[in-house]
Amino acid sequence: MRASLIAIVLALLGAGCATTSIRGDLDRIETISGQALPPDVLDQVDPVGDARVREILRAPLDADDAVRLAIANHRELRAALRELGIERGRVLQAGLLPNPEIEIDLRSQDDPEQPLQVELYAEFELTHALLTPMRVDVASRELDAARFRAAGRVIETAYLARAAFYDAQAAEQRLAVAVRALDALAAARDTATMLFDAGNVPELDVATQIAAYEEARAVTAELELARAGSRERLHRVLGLHGDATEWSIAAPLDDVPEESAIPEALERDAIESSTELAETRMRLEAIAGRVGLSRTEGWLPDVTVDVHAEQDGQTWEMGGGASIELPIFDRNEGTTAAYEAEFDALMERYEGTAIDIRSAARDACNRLASAHLRAKQYEGVIVPARARVFRQTLLQYNAMQVGVFELVTALRAQLSAELSAIDALREYWTARAALEALLRGRRVSGAVVSSSTGIGADQGSAGGH
Amino acid sequence: MDRRSFLRWSGAAAGAAVLTRAAQVSAQDAHAHAEASATAAAAVPTFERRPASRVAAPGGQPAVITPNGVSLPWTIRDGVKVGHLVAHELDHEFAPGMRARVWGYNGHTPGPTLEAVEGERIRVYVTNRLPEPTTVHWHGLILPNGMDGVSGLNQRPIPPGETWVYEFDLRHPGTFMYHSHYDEMTQIALGMAGMFIVHPRRPVGPRVDRDFVLMTHEWKLEVGARRPDPNAMNDFNVLTFNGKSYPGTEPLLVGVGERVRIRLGNLSPMDHHPIHLHGLNFVMTATDGGYVSQSAQYPETTVIVPVGSTRVIEFTPTEPGDWAMHCHMTHHVMTQMGHGLPPMVGVDTSTVDRRMSRVVPEYMSMGQTGMGGMGEMEMDIPPNSLPMRGARGPFSYIDMGGMFTVLKVRERPESADPNGWFEHPAGSVAGPADAARLRADGIDLE
Ligand SMILES: [Cu+2]
Repeated sequence: MRASLIAIVLALLGAGCATTSIRGDLDRIETISGQALPPDVLDQVDPVGDARVREILRAPLDADDAVRLAIANHRELRAALRELGIERGRVLQAGLLPNPEIEIDLRSQDDPEQPLQVELYAEFELTHALLTPMRVDVASRELDAARFRAAGRVIETAYLARAAFYDAQAAEQRLAVAVRALDALAAARDTATMLFDAGNVPELDVATQIAAYEEARAVTAELELARAGSRERLHRVLGLHGDATEWSIAAPLDDVPEESAIPEALERDAIESSTELAETRMRLEAIAGRVGLSRTEGWLPDVTVDVHAEQDGQTWEMGGGASIELPIFDRNEGTTAAYEAEFDALMERYEGTAIDIRSAARDACNRLASAHLRAKQYEGVIVPARARVFRQTLLQYNAMQVGVFELVTALRAQLSAELSAIDALREYWTARAALEALLRGRRVSGAVVSSSTGIGADQGSAGGH
Repeated sequence: MDRRSFLRWSGAAAGAAVLTRAAQVSAQDAHAHAEASATAAAAVPTFERRPASRVAAPGGQPAVITPNGVSLPWTIRDGVKVGHLVAHELDHEFAPGMRARVWGYNGHTPGPTLEAVEGERIRVYVTNRLPEPTTVHWHGLILPNGMDGVSGLNQRPIPPGETWVYEFDLRHPGTFMYHSHYDEMTQIALGMAGMFIVHPRRPVGPRVDRDFVLMTHEWKLEVGARRPDPNAMNDFNVLTFNGKSYPGTEPLLVGVGERVRIRLGNLSPMDHHPIHLHGLNFVMTATDGGYVSQSAQYPETTVIVPVGSTRVIEFTPTEPGDWAMHCHMTHHVMTQMGHGLPPMVGVDTSTVDRRMSRVVPEYMSMGQTGMGGMGEMEMDIPPNSLPMRGARGPFSYIDMGGMFTVLKVRERPESADPNGWFEHPAGSVAGPADAARLRADGIDLE
């Protein structure tokens, strides 16, 4: 009897050990998200002070650097990773056995001759202990759901870093273009001023050129702000502050590739890799586990076993017993029904999410195809066409058929096409990153982050000529 | 900007690093187009020496010379001079480096010069290879009304692909023209015109040694375009003698003491041309209406040739040399000048050049000291264009184009090279004033 009791207790203790390490969770997240996590991702106190981070920031950054920094530094992501500890704690808790209850009675009688009577009483909730593995199982499902949720956050953070980096690249290139336009307009303004001073053109011409220049200056100032704004968005994603914000961009946005592959079974791939669906599946399993637990609890009588010992002076008297609560009136029907309803509701949401993901896949694919087409059209056709217009205007200028103001107008039109080309390129790379995030398992908005400001090439040129 | 400073600027521009990709695109583009675009180094054509004119009419009247052109060959059939004009589109060179699709006759614009003698009967077949109907009007000739060639009024137009025939007697001598009288606006603008010379049976006035025919015309050919714009009413930018702009014009080579006749005809769409000769004076002896009596002739150095008129001038040069002959409207001795750009005269643009070279490395300001020297600049310009171009002269660049040619007066015209320049006697060319001479003549430059 004693031996078998010990065996049961040991078995129950074994069930309670089904907890995992942090590293185990992180490994699992790496597998799901396809994104490497630094081994000590949760150790650092302030990653900005970290030597490796400093090393990355010293050299000009590319999009992959931005992703690495964001994975290590993004505070929301770190919070999400830490929140895994909540579920892990719940698993641990679920595996713990109920504590035995021990009661000691000391009784003395009026007769001093009589010895002190000692009575010991120990009680253990057997049914509760027997259900521990089921509780652990439910908590493990919840932990798994949390891992998928965290993996989704990893994918999303990587995407946000990428998109923000592309935007910062584009903002820098746009500003460079605007500065060239401003230079050209300054030259046109100076020419107009000199022509006016020499008496060769009416004041209208100089006024027109000055107005165009000053407007372009305001636009350039806006683009400067846009550049600063895009860098700040990136700083928030990368978790950078202070002098860690003085980094530079390695290169302009890459050219658009000739072909932009889109997987054949796009919808299926998106569904299969979705962390949202996987998380919901885990939650469904957890609820199913709760339903089972609740049913079992309702059907299984509450059994409490106890042992007691009594000493009446010389001898010990031993005994055992059990108390059973019969499930006659309360068989947990209400709780079970509530869990079942929760399951059904979540199942509906699961299917809705799947529909949304399929749609998001098609949407991302459309975005990418369109952005690819536009980026190629701008890069391969429109910008060269505008460059040709400018080149021919220059030849006509050399042939004294058009004046300097027409030349500047043609240049502004070319620069305006270059601005649009930069926008198209940024949209392409952002759409590419969004589709990749989706295929890795996370829906992202895919919308381009900042807005564009033109340089006003369509505004009229100098009056008169 | 002079050439020296241009070279300095282009050097500075090459050194300026422009790192954006777009600048590379346009630079590559510029490179790719460099071969296609023309520069100033336009070739000056060379001309054959013309043999002595044969006698074309009684009294030793010499046959006419059509510089850059030809005369229509005749055959005689039963005492009638028979000729054939084919109207068609052709590729025409205005001057080396500038060609265009024009319309003309027998491969030429103006068409071949018709040359005959008073009293002859001619039969001219006209084949229409144009895309639209045409007619030929014999401008200034008095002939039967049904031969006058005005479409609708005197005849049906000649449909494309058909050959029609004109036949009439040459009742009066004179300097006449022929041209399309169907859709004249298009057809004359594109070159459907020519000269028609009828020598008198008995010479009128002093005997001439040389008899030239020059037809003036004006065209609008956008820089870099390949077909003249027949709808143009203003801004004609290619001005021609016998279809050629200088330096494409063939010089007129004559002898000292020779009596020279120049027959000028004008079928420009819109402009009269005051034709001016240097180094001599002349009298106008005839128009397309007939002869000017000797008593009415008066000396001139410029004759206005109105649109739709001919003017015949005669002179005897006494001074050997290379004498300019040109329309005196200054815009008519330019080729493809632009009129839409602000004048740069009097503007110091060195700072502008510096600024512009940052954004347009090839940029240079032009015209701030005037337009002289533009033709000499080695700059990329659109292909098939001759903006502001002239030619290298014996002393320096001749910055005239368009309706400009050279009357070369030589002691020995028969052996002179039509491509050569006059050799000036020592001390007869203007040069810099030396200080001692200035002082001696009391010219104070302070
Ligand atoms: Cu003229």
